[in-house]
Parts: sequence; structure tokens; C-alpha cells
Amino acid sequence: MRFVGESVTRVEDRRILTGRGRYIDDVKLPGMLHAAFLRSPFAHARITELEIGEAQKLPGVVAVLTGADIEAATVPIQVMAQFPDFKSPAYLAMATDRVRFVGDLVAIVVAESRYVAEDALELINVEYDPMRPIVSFDDAQDSTAPAIFDDIADNVLYRSTSTHGDVDAAFAAADTVIEETFTQSRQANVPMETRGAVADFDPGTGDLTYYAATQSPQGCRFQLATYLDHPIDRVRVLSGDVGGAFGLKGPVHREDISLAAASRIIGRPIKWIEDRNEHLQASGHAREEQMQVEAAVTSDGRLLGLRARLLIDQGAFPCLPYAAVLFPNMIRDLLPGPYRFGAMQFEGLVLATNKCWVPPYRGPWEIETWVRERLMDVVARRLGMDPAELRRKNMFDGAEEDRSISGQHLAGITSRESLERALGRIDYGSLRSEQEAARAEGRLLGVGIATFLEAAPGPKENRMFPEDAKVRLESNGHLLVMTPQGPHGQGHETTLAQIAADAMGLPLDHVRVVHGDTRQTPMNLIGTGGSRASTWASGSVMVTTRKVREKALGIASAMLEIDAGDLDIIDGMVVPAGAPAKAMPLAAIAMTAYLAPESLPPGTDNHLEAQETFTGDGIGGSGWSGGTHLCVVEIDQDTGRVRILRYIVVEDCGQIINPAIVEGQIRGGVAQGIAGVLYEKAAYDEEGQFMAGTFMDYLLPTATEIPHIEIDHIESVPVEGLDIRGVGEGGAIVAPAALTNAIEDALLPFGVTVNEQYLPPGRILELTGAIPA
Amino acid sequence: MSRRPVHVKINGVEREGYVEPRKTLVDFIREDLELTGTHVGCEHGVCGACTVLLDGEAVRSCLMFAVQAEGCEIRTIEGMAGPDGQLHPLQEAFRDNHSFQCGFCTPGFMMTAAALLEEGPLSEEDLRHELSGNLCRCTGYQSIVAGVMDAFGRSTPAAGQAADAATEAAR
Repeated sequence: MRFVGESVTRVEDRRILTGRGRYIDDVKLPGMLHAAFLRSPFAHARITELEIGEAQKLPGVVAVLTGADIEAATVPIQVMAQFPDFKSPAYLAMATDRVRFVGDLVAIVVAESRYVAEDALELINVEYDPMRPIVSFDDAQDSTAPAIFDDIADNVLYRSTSTHGDVDAAFAAADTVIEETFTQSRQANVPMETRGAVADFDPGTGDLTYYAATQSPQGCRFQLATYLDHPIDRVRVLSGDVGGAFGLKGPVHREDISLAAASRIIGRPIKWIEDRNEHLQASGHAREEQMQVEAAVTSDGRLLGLRARLLIDQGAFPCLPYAAVLFPNMIRDLLPGPYRFGAMQFEGLVLATNKCWVPPYRGPWEIETWVRERLMDVVARRLGMDPAELRRKNMFDGAEEDRSISGQHLAGITSRESLERALGRIDYGSLRSEQEAARAEGRLLGVGIATFLEAAPGPKENRMFPEDAKVRLESNGHLLVMTPQGPHGQGHETTLAQIAADAMGLPLDHVRVVHGDTRQTPMNLIGTGGSRASTWASGSVMVTTRKVREKALGIASAMLEIDAGDLDIIDGMVVPAGAPAKAMPLAAIAMTAYLAPESLPPGTDNHLEAQETFTGDGIGGSGWSGGTHLCVVEIDQDTGRVRILRYIVVEDCGQIINPAIVEGQIRGGVAQGIAGVLYEKAAYDEEGQFMAGTFMDYLLPTATEIPHIEIDHIESVPVEGLDIRGVGEGGAIVAPAALTNAIEDALLPFGVTVNEQYLPPGRILELTGAIPA
Repeated sequence: MSRRPVHVKINGVEREGYVEPRKTLVDFIREDLELTGTHVGCEHGVCGACTVLLDGEAVRSCLMFAVQAEGCEIRTIEGMAGPDGQLHPLQEAFRDNHSFQCGFCTPGFMMTAAALLEEGPLSEEDLRHELSGNLCRCTGYQSIVAGVMDAFGRSTPAAGQAADAATEAAR
């Protein structure tokens, strides 16, 4: 391998650096109109009157469509109805008689410009009859409260329960039982590019071309075809550069379906680009979850048992297609992490509320790490143990027989190595002495440790969803690699080219990675998400390129009359072993195959194209990404400001394709994790009114808030086969745990337990007693 | 709504348009002049994605009307590379330091940094303050800071040493 492992310059860079990226708002079609949505100002209300006449009369307005118009043109949405025990409500792309969150869709205006469309929104008259909003975890579990959906009796949409081992015996044997309730606030993905699309229905051909900013072009096509009841062969999705997503643009949004329906009704292309206010209130939120835990422990720090009850606020509508019902069992499986628990009981609920829906956000199972790692610190403190010591004592080594209480096979994990390396890197012993000295001076210095595991791709027994790639050797000897991935910053045009160039034996610039055109790429509903690209897309590109290589060598063998086994491809040249002078450019072989196939011996396969499925066969190593983060903070007692003095990452994602990209993923994730603790909250008031509609309310961190992040790679060597593991979510998953642990440690002199994840300065001052809670 | 003429010199080229007085400068640049390298991230002046140089100053083109730019000289990301395609040292430094992922915020950071380069090197801490008017959701900023620091060094060797010294002094 020559390119894998190198921080080669990204293929994407030049166009982005010169302003020639093609993001969704850069698409401009002849005759294109512009859309704006009218959104509900109420969390929960009946629509008693909807008057669009004045808006229709405004010059420049082409159409005003209501929920009833869109209902007539679409199929009701029902997500994951087959998921066992999930009460999946049917809902519409736009509201008709009732709105269910602030930002719900009431009407769509299509006009000559976005300016005019927004003018027209103000001329639409809607009368609402407000209903009791379901806002809190308690409201949602109150069986006397109004149900948000007519076809579901209450607002508990899903309940999962399971028991692993003898939980009662574990608690009976415990020296101490520790109970805590840990709560996360609402956050949001907030990519710098908001949502948007251009829907282009051609009344002549019946083709719907949908220009999307999506993580999954094929998934988008499939859902549009389904909910528009449009033949899928006549739906084409095109996606260019995507300005960030973090999970948000994997789903297909109700706006997508409404916009496509509007284009089909009107018969013209329509662009919709969301503004930031719409984005913050209505695109998607995340992480509003709570977990009640009880831990049964011995006085010497053994973890006998765990009881956990999880609540997930999924907002009003189950997200399409990744409803929050997917998360509880993932959280259950990962909750014990790399530690031995003797027994575990788990209950997980998904609740409907009158708030924005909840798409995946960078590791949507993140609460398992936050709660577990918080709990480890709380237990250590109650027992008078050092938190690193408690972790050491209970951590699996990654032996072949190691299996967590939730059943996860942990052979080969490197959690212990990551913990020791992180502690060593910071000189943990000296740091604790330094902390003692600081405390003696009245300074609030804290240290937080957190360890995580991510199933990317996961252990052999629970790998799912194979993926295809399509590869073609062109007549000039260059390779075209077609992937169903929907990159949005991860640089797949580069990393997949690195994989293909090595697998084929080509210079990097002889490989072109194509994505975002569903007429060319293989089918795959998921696209980019869940760290699948590094393993599944890479694997599919590798096996498919090998197939094309085999075909090319077959043709070369016929042309050179040398056995294919004695041929190699080096730098785009087919080179016979021991006879370099007879080397022939791959282009000559390809040209013959395309232009003179009749010159080849009968029976030679002259098709230099392949599509292969990567099933996970050949993946070596543990399948677990993971690592340990260590964070040192100092808190200003007067202002409540948390300053991060050191942030250390030790991670293991197996073989690294491109170190610069891996480190970029880690740092970006850590920044989001830090932000969720110190800055970001998608706040609602008790009426369900959204309170964070601008960047002055929803605070993204800037260059002054995110610290220097030090990274150390373990890169555990695969025993055999492909061992590339995902690294997209790790930073975001574990950073909140490392940081909140450090904050609680800093606040030790006040004897407080940190059981909320969101800790802005005001909350810190409440915890220290500087201001009343 | 009535329209008014606007004349600007953008990336060295005289251009004119005819726009509603309420049209923002960024919409004018993107829609009328068809220079889509400048991005719209928030339309309320916080994220900095729409930053352009207006008569040499970094400004948010979402907070200005196009008509206010009448007679002004504008530079956008499309005007950074040379006419022969040679990248500006800042572009090279961004590329070499992996200073962006999705690239949506990049034009704004680039134009903010271009204005900073004119004023000379900064310490890393000061640079972070200067860049705090631009939001990035992908990188965690470290690679952007590294990219701009690197660019300080590339513009002239002396400037690079001065940047190192400024950082050293700040520590």
C-alpha cells in the first residue's frame, strides 16, 4: 500500500479553496422558482381557519399550497412500522388540521424570488385554537395528557425492557447502592449550510430530478419515490458538495416531500433554502434524554449490577427513516462499555412531545458513554477511590472470551491501553499532586477521564447492511469509482481514491470517485453515517477494484501472452515479473478492450467494470473503535467560566487511511461535545415555545472557546485482513463525559454531583452556591 | 418593487446590476453576479460565512444592502488565486493544514484571514480572537488556526519569523 496511511492532499480541496464548490444553493436552473414555508407559531394547536387568497394575489407569487394540497399529492408517512413494539404514528408532510410543534409546516409559497415568497407568507391568515402542549418528560408519560397523534393512545411510543444476569442477587450482595438521575439538554446538529433542495419535475418526461444536500442520495430517492408515490425509476437524486450535516441530512425531511410535491403540481423547478431561524427551530434536535441509574457495588470497587431507565424525547414526529426508536437498544448494548458489570436491567422509553423531531446527531447513542463514565466517577468518589483506579479495576483486557453483560463481544479492544497511555501522557500522578496544591490555594482545578467503545463496524457477530461499489476502468486507464456514500466534509473522494489506487496499482490522480448521482451509484439506503464509509465503503471499493484488476490482468495476459499470475500493476503500468521492458500501460489494455475486443482470444472477459458487495468478510481486528479522553479544567469561581487547560485524546481506529482526515474528524467531534456541555442549548419554554432561534441564542463555540486538542493513535495492528474502523462519532460521544467529569472534579470542594450535561456559567455558579439555584 | 442600478468592481472586474434596494449584498454577489463562492450561513451577521473584502475591509455581506456597495471594490474567494490558477499562499496554507472539511465556512475564514494578512502576523491567541467572528462546525478550529499561522509565514519569510516571535512572546 502506498497511499493508504498518508495525509495526501484532498481531491476536494482545490474547488473549495477557489470558491468553485457546488453546494445546494449554487444550483440555478432555467425557470426556477423559490419556495418559503409558513410555519406554526404554536407548539400544539388546531388550525381553525387558513386564508391564502391575499397571498395568491401578490405579484410574483406563482402558487400557495396548503397541507390539504400536499396531502392530496403524497402518501402518509409512517416510519419503521415493522419495528417490534413501536407504536408508529402516521403523519403528513404538511399539517392539515393540527400543528404539533413550533415550526410545523402549514403552507408553502412558490414565487419568483425568495424575497417575494417571504412577503407572501405575511399575507396568509391562520387562526389557531391552542391545545395543551406536551413539553417535558413528565408530560409525555402522563397518561391523562392529550395524545399528540390520533392513532396512538398516549405519548409513549416505545418501551424496551430487558434483564441480563441475576440483577436482584447483584443488588442483594452489594455493599453500596448508588442512585443518580442524569439529564441531557436539547442540542442540535447545526451544520454551517442549512437544509435546502431544488425539486425539478419535468411534465414532459415525468422525471423528477431532485437536487439534494444529502448524506444518502439513494435513501433520499427511495423515500421520495415512496411518499410521492412516484415510480422510482423516474426519480433521480443529484447531490454535490454538502456543507456539513452530522446526521441531520441523512433523513428525508417533510420539507423535501412537500417541495417535490409542489414541483410536480406546478410543473416547474423550485428551490428551497432554509434560513437559519427555520433551521434552528425546525430542522432537527438531539440529545434530550435522561437516564436514571442504580449501581450495586462492593466497597472495593467491583461493579455487581446496574439498573437503568432511559427516556428519549423524540419530539413530535418520528424522524424519516431513522426514528429515535432505533436508539434505546443501541444505548442498552453499549451502556456497560469496556467494563465488567455482574448484571444489568434496562428499560428504555421513546416519548413524543410537541417539539422538533430528532434525527441522528453524531453518535445518537452518546448517552451510554456519558452516563456510564459519569457514574464511574460518582462511584469512585463515594467509595473514596481514584476514578482511574476504579476504571482499571473493572476494565476488560480484550481477551477472546471477553463479553460485556449486554452481550457484546469485546475480543481485541484496546481500552486499557488507551487509558494507560492517556494517564501516562499527562503524568497523572503529578497532575493529582498539582491539583492538591491548586486546591490549597483555593483554585478549582479538575481532571476528567472517559473511555468509550464504538461499534464501527462492531464485532463480527453483529455486523449489518453490506454495501456495494461500482468500479470501471476507463479507456485512458483511469479508474472511476462509484459509491453510494454521501460525503459532507469527510473527504471520501480522497480516501476512497487512496484505497482504489492501492488496490489497482495506480497513481492517485488516475482515480476519480463519483458520488451523488443515483443513476450511476449502487443502491444503498444508508449512505454516509454511523462511520460506515471507512469500513463498508472502503471494503466495497477494495473488493470491487480487485475484481476490475483481475479482469484487466486477464486481458493483459491475453495481449502479452504471459500468465496473469506473473503480472503486476505498478503506477498504471502492467509489469511482467522479471521482464520490466515488456511493461504496458493500463491504458493500452483498456483501449483494446473497448475498441478492439475482437482482437482478444475468444472467451476473454473484455468488460472492465464490476459491482461487488462487501459483506464484511475479511475484516480483521476487534471491530471496535474506541479510546480514552482526558481533560483538565480550571473554573473561575467569580464568573463560572470553565477553561480547558489540556485536552488529550488517545484513540484506536485500526489502520488509518488518512491521518489528517482522521484527526479532523476527532477534533470536530470533540468540539461538538464540548459545545454541548458549555454553550449549546435548543431551549423551549414550558409552553413549548422555541427560545433559541438565532446564533445569539444558540451559541456555537468559536476559535477562542475550543482548546488545542492533543491526539495520540494506538492504531492496533490487524491480525489479518482489512482493519479500518470508523472515527466519525467518537469525539462527540466521549467529550461530554470527559469534560463533565473534569468539572465535577474541579467542584469537589463544594461536594456537588454533576448530573446535568449542560453546564453554562450560570449553572456552575448555582452549583458553587455563588447564586441561588 | 422598483430597482436601482449598482456598480461594483469585483475581483478586478467592473460589473453592474439592477436590484431592489432591499437586496442584500451577498444575494447580489451570488445571484446577480453569479459568484457563488461566497456563502450564506445565518443572515444575521454571526457566522461570518459571507465575509468579503469591501474596499479592503472584511465585512459581512449579509448585513449590507447591495445598493450600499455602489462604487466599491469587492474581493471574494474567487479573486484569491492568480489569473493563471496559481493559489494564493493563504489557499495553499489552508490546503496543507487541512483547514476545512465540508468547506462551507471556508470562504468566510479565507477572506477574514486575507484581511489579517495585510496587517501582519499575530500571536496564536490574538489570531483566535480575530477569527472568533467566523463559525466552523467541522474542524474544532485548530487546523484553521494552524493554516492562518502558516500563511503568515508564507507571505514573507520575515513575517513568518515575526509570527513565531509573537506566539513565543504571548506564551
